[in-house]
Amino acid sequence: MNREKVVFSFFMILALTLNFGFFTGEVDNPAHHNAYELFAVMVVNLIATVLKFGDRSQMGAMLLATSLVALVQLFSASFVWGYVVNIQGQAMTPETMATIISLSGGALIANFISVILLIIETSMMRH
Amino acid sequence: MSLVTSLIMRQMRAPFIILIFAFSISVISMVVAPGVDAQGNTWHLSFFQAFYFVSYTATTIGFGEIPHDFSNAQRISALITIYLSVIAWFYSLGKIISLVQDPTFREALKKSRFSHQLERIPDSFILICGFGETGHALASTLTQRNIHTVVIEEDSESIQTLPLQDFAMEVPGLVGDAGNPEHLIQAGLQNPKCAAVLAVTSSDEINLKIAVTSKLLNPSVRVICRSEIKEYESNMFSFGTDFVVNPYDTFANIFAMAIHSPSLHLLYDWLTGVPNTDLSNPVYIEKGHWIICGYGRFGAGLYQQLLKSNIHVTIIDPSDEKRQEFLSKSENSANDFILGTGFDAHTLTVAGVENAIGLISGTNNDSNNLSIIMTARELNPELFIVARHNRQNNQKLFEATRANIIMQPSEIIARKIRSLLVSPLMIAFLSKARKQDITWANVAISRLTGALGDCIPNIWTLQVNEKEARALCEVLKLGRVMRVGNLLQDPRQRERQIKAIPLLLKRDNKLLLMPTDDIAIKPGDHILYCGTPGANRSMHWSLNDLHSLNYIMTYEDTPDGYFWRKFNAFLKRKERRNRRRNQLH
Repeated sequence: MNREKVVFSFFMILALTLNFGFFTGEVDNPAHHNAYELFAVMVVNLIATVLKFGDRSQMGAMLLATSLVALVQLFSASFVWGYVVNIQGQAMTPETMATIISLSGGALIANFISVILLIIETSMMRH
Repeated sequence: MSLVTSLIMRQMRAPFIILIFAFSISVISMVVAPGVDAQGNTWHLSFFQAFYFVSYTATTIGFGEIPHDFSNAQRISALITIYLSVIAWFYSLGKIISLVQDPTFREALKKSRFSHQLERIPDSFILICGFGETGHALASTLTQRNIHTVVIEEDSESIQTLPLQDFAMEVPGLVGDAGNPEHLIQAGLQNPKCAAVLAVTSSDEINLKIAVTSKLLNPSVRVICRSEIKEYESNMFSFGTDFVVNPYDTFANIFAMAIHSPSLHLLYDWLTGVPNTDLSNPVYIEKGHWIICGYGRFGAGLYQQLLKSNIHVTIIDPSDEKRQEFLSKSENSANDFILGTGFDAHTLTVAGVENAIGLISGTNNDSNNLSIIMTARELNPELFIVARHNRQNNQKLFEATRANIIMQPSEIIARKIRSLLVSPLMIAFLSKARKQDITWANVAISRLTGALGDCIPNIWTLQVNEKEARALCEVLKLGRVMRVGNLLQDPRQRERQIKAIPLLLKRDNKLLLMPTDDIAIKPGDHILYCGTPGANRSMHWSLNDLHSLNYIMTYEDTPDGYFWRKFNAFLKRKERRNRRRNQLH
């Protein structure tokens, strides 16, 4: 058993599930999407990314790349949220919510690819 | 990803994750804790405000309770934030600082800097194993001649002083054991740019190992080895080491040269010395009674040379075994062997120092050698003294004894390797010169002093090919005849001679010593020259610039531009016509 890989899979899959949880629901309905959940996705994704720092193998570098993509998407989503609510001082509108959800949908795909890569890597291992 | 970055990233994983945990827990607790504003309404910090609060608290900046005064519930969360995030932050900072000071990290940093330096070398380099006296002397003169060198040395202090040395170009240095193949590969042994390996550590065993490693891992590389023991020398040759330099043999040969002909010895000294230093004076070795103190590798080598010249020799050595062996050989019957050390007046007197011509102090201990020289000088101030100098830091002492010849192993090795690398034809020249008679050397010496002045000359080889002599090749292709003497004309003023002398002409494995001015040059020739640096530049000019070459051959400064060329041709035609008309009248 490789502990490093297990810990990484835990965070990676948690990121995917949380991301899915945030993503589901009507696209433009703020009541269906929880801010805490977005925060959790970001934190877990950040940890998964840091866990791949300094990995010199091909698969490790690929996983670092996909989780970085997810992070970029999530950060833009949270930036949109923060900008509209705190800087423009408006209440959440259905249009803004739709933007945030579509961005998090992109992150969902990136996280999904990460998990697929993870499955491939695990199945390639001999034991 | 380079080793250094991946090492940093790997080390930073734990601090980053701890920071992320600390920040996320703090932010969540700040968002969840309810606050009460002035009107009594409940409010919550937004994620943005909470992140702002945690950021300035964690970095101990502390702007206060923003945007409203906190409720007690929020203050409890703020307490959690303070203890958690400040500790996490300090832990991460400490980790970064300790990483920078970590020896493994610094090692990796040095190695990556070294390999960057290797990459920057444009054409080829020479790997010097061992940065002692010999390695230092070699790096200094090779860089002067625009040859890149790389150093590997076990002693980290001498590598650290490398950037402080006054070399003509940057010399990358790696701390490592040259006897370890891994370290040699890191130093660039298998790099395609590695042209030669010089094994010049002080240990024969390590030099042997370097030679084996180099020939196994990179068969095309040239290997030149330093060796002081015969068995190692033959072992090195057995697997194709290109050159083995033995300081004692080399010195014995130089000494023989000095006995045979002082002029030849002087010629050798001038042509292999460090360029642009002062010329040395000739050494005259008289035939008579000689005394050798110390019958080791050094003494025995010199004895053989003296024996060949039928000089009477007395040997002083404390070993009885060596004496028995010496006396058992019939060729030694004319000479004596005295048991003793040589630094006491009694032994020297018994050996006949009062009437001797010369004395060789050749023990492997510098103090003994110095003591022998002092005692002998007192007994006979006229003695010709050859001193063996073993350690560099005694140099001042040996200079103070004013011995006539001082033999310093590292200097001799550096000199030999230098001529092997810089001018391979020089070895051929010297071995051919040795076969000439004494008058030849005298004539050569007077020619050199006449043409070159009072500085050790530079040595260079002219290869007649497209790359090195473009203009010359073009002219030769047109069928015109260039002679050796033509190239010695100054491209600035044709009547003047540049300060250079051709030493050797090599054509299809045939060697011609001191080619005369009237010999025609052919493509593929190699010519060895000695001369001043200015002469080298002038010659380079006429070899590669068609214009200058034309001037040398024809006296004419032909114009380059189209219009002026046509105009000149017109003038010439007109002149010719006029001349013909004048002849008719």
